[in-house]
Amino acid sequence: MDSRETILSSIRKHLAASPPDLYYTDQPKSVFPESVVAPAPTSLVDLFKENVEAVNGHCIVTRDVSQAVTRIITDLGARKIAVSDTPPSAEEIFEYDVGITGAQAAIAETGTLVLDSAREKHRLASLVPPVHIAIVDASSIFQTLAEALAFIHQNGDISPAVTFITGPSRTADIELTLAIGVHGPQELYVIVNQGPSLSH
Amino acid sequence: MNHLSSETFGENAKAALADTQLRGALRHATSLFGKRRLEAARSLSNWEDLRTEARAIKDEVLLHLDRYLETFTANAEKRGAVVHWARDAAEANEIICGLARQRNARTIVKSKSMTTEETHLNDALEAAGMQVVETDLGEYIIQLAHETPSHIIAPAIHKTKGQIAELFTATLGMAPTEDVAQLTSTARATLRDRFAAADAGISGVNFGVAETGTIVIVENEGNIRLTTSLPRIHIAVMGIEKVIPRFADLDVFLKLLPRSGTGQRLTTYQSFITGTKRNASDEGPEELHIVILDNGRSRMLAHPLTRQSLACIRCGACLNACPVYQQVGGHAYGSVYPGPIGAVITPQLIGIEKTAQLPYASSLCGACREVCPVKIDIPRLLLHLRAEVAAGPKGNAMERMVFKIWARVMMSPSLYKLGSRAGRMMQRVMPLSRAWTSGRDLRPIERQSFRDLWKTKYGQ
Repeated sequence: MDSRETILSSIRKHLAASPPDLYYTDQPKSVFPESVVAPAPTSLVDLFKENVEAVNGHCIVTRDVSQAVTRIITDLGARKIAVSDTPPSAEEIFEYDVGITGAQAAIAETGTLVLDSAREKHRLASLVPPVHIAIVDASSIFQTLAEALAFIHQNGDISPAVTFITGPSRTADIELTLAIGVHGPQELYVIVNQGPSLSH
Repeated sequence: MNHLSSETFGENAKAALADTQLRGALRHATSLFGKRRLEAARSLSNWEDLRTEARAIKDEVLLHLDRYLETFTANAEKRGAVVHWARDAAEANEIICGLARQRNARTIVKSKSMTTEETHLNDALEAAGMQVVETDLGEYIIQLAHETPSHIIAPAIHKTKGQIAELFTATLGMAPTEDVAQLTSTARATLRDRFAAADAGISGVNFGVAETGTIVIVENEGNIRLTTSLPRIHIAVMGIEKVIPRFADLDVFLKLLPRSGTGQRLTTYQSFITGTKRNASDEGPEELHIVILDNGRSRMLAHPLTRQSLACIRCGACLNACPVYQQVGGHAYGSVYPGPIGAVITPQLIGIEKTAQLPYASSLCGACREVCPVKIDIPRLLLHLRAEVAAGPKGNAMERMVFKIWARVMMSPSLYKLGSRAGRMMQRVMPLSRAWTSGRDLRPIERQSFRDLWKTKYGQ
């Protein structure tokens, strides 16, 4: 018997030996409660911005994305810029100052970006450079986590890699003192595009 | 440093209590974690419903674990992952060392995984001649210090920044500083080179979704994303209990886990990894291997009481809430998993014989049960394990006899009357059990019983 069968039959054997559960019924409780979605107190864009800023991110709401990006890059004095359309190789990307990517969706309640790897090559551009600039359409902002989960799992399909990003990289491993920028970006700029959609 | 043994918990705890630096670090960390957890839980109006729902989902999975594991495996394999099954730690390590060897991997980066702590994977990889680097900041600190984690989610919680500064100065040649930002950026700079050079990445798994074959890993630092994105091979180690049925179930667990663990609404990063990349030119590893580990877990399925131990999502909230953990820290337990959940899981994983003291490392106050996001009845489990200890060879024959007599006396009014009268007389001449009275007061038995008082007052 191989290990797979050994483990599975051990599971079956021990479950079969189990006396009935007096505390919890063994009926499958698959009823997933419809999440109660309270109406957002302000607009989704405002709520999203507030929550991005609450986790130490910067958030710019604009109709002119290219101007916003240019200003950030100029202010930073960044030289090497990785863009997710044509990202540098895994070896080169460590030399870059800024990574610019899109985000396919966002979650207002938590200030979270949703990056879907099937749509863009942004796994490394959003991670390795010390600054990450992400652009998301205002119309792609959901209110809740549940909506975003449903969005990345449409028609039963899901991309090989989906990443949720909430603020810049952080740690509290030393005396629970917050330190921003451990392995991922030290700064996160989120640009909410209120102009015409930039995707495709 | 010498790793402590669970067999000497009592002595370990005494030594920990005398360590003022340790107790200061623990007091600071556990109270802050506790405060943040409470605030985060209160930010949701339906916290109790979420706990109930999460437990119901876990109960459902555990009752049909074979089926969910098979579904998970089929879906992960459909997407290009290779699933391996390991009966125990040795087999898991053998599989992983074998994969690394076949692919000629010399440098391995690892993200934090309690499951690989349980299997002592690093020792096995090093013995096989590979270089393995822990990349989570806390894990990196304890790897440099040759220690073990003392907390499920904050491995270096027992260390002060002064101790970490000394360690970095000695091992990394850092200029002396106690600035946390400086300490962090030193680690970042050192580990960047390791990431760039790594041949393989090893991670744990927080949730394995049966419906899609997806593994979900949560973190704050970004080291998990690097570990699972940069090297050409990714190996993920997952206990059999990590599987959940549906993708939509993640809503409940991603609300509970970060709030219970660090008090965040979401951790900075969630990675949802489903199989391998679709095109060769895409980013990400070429291979994904998922190692499913039993290592004593399937035994816990045999009873509803013990089965709930497998519902644990490793948030660490029970450690922070526990008055024993708060005082003695994680190392005193001498086990990979410390705190209340450790005292429950460890004896079941490695046997009660070597861990007989752990079920007693609790005042049974119930704080752990109160904070548990999946409502594990830890005090009941501890009592169950204590009963096992008492009935076994480590049990005390005297204790067994005393409690047998106690039970008889408590069931008979006349014996009870006689017993309390005798106790009233005896307590003047004989000190009661020292194990009980050395750490607390024993209230003397009142001079008159309630029945006697009633009789004198109402004459009946």
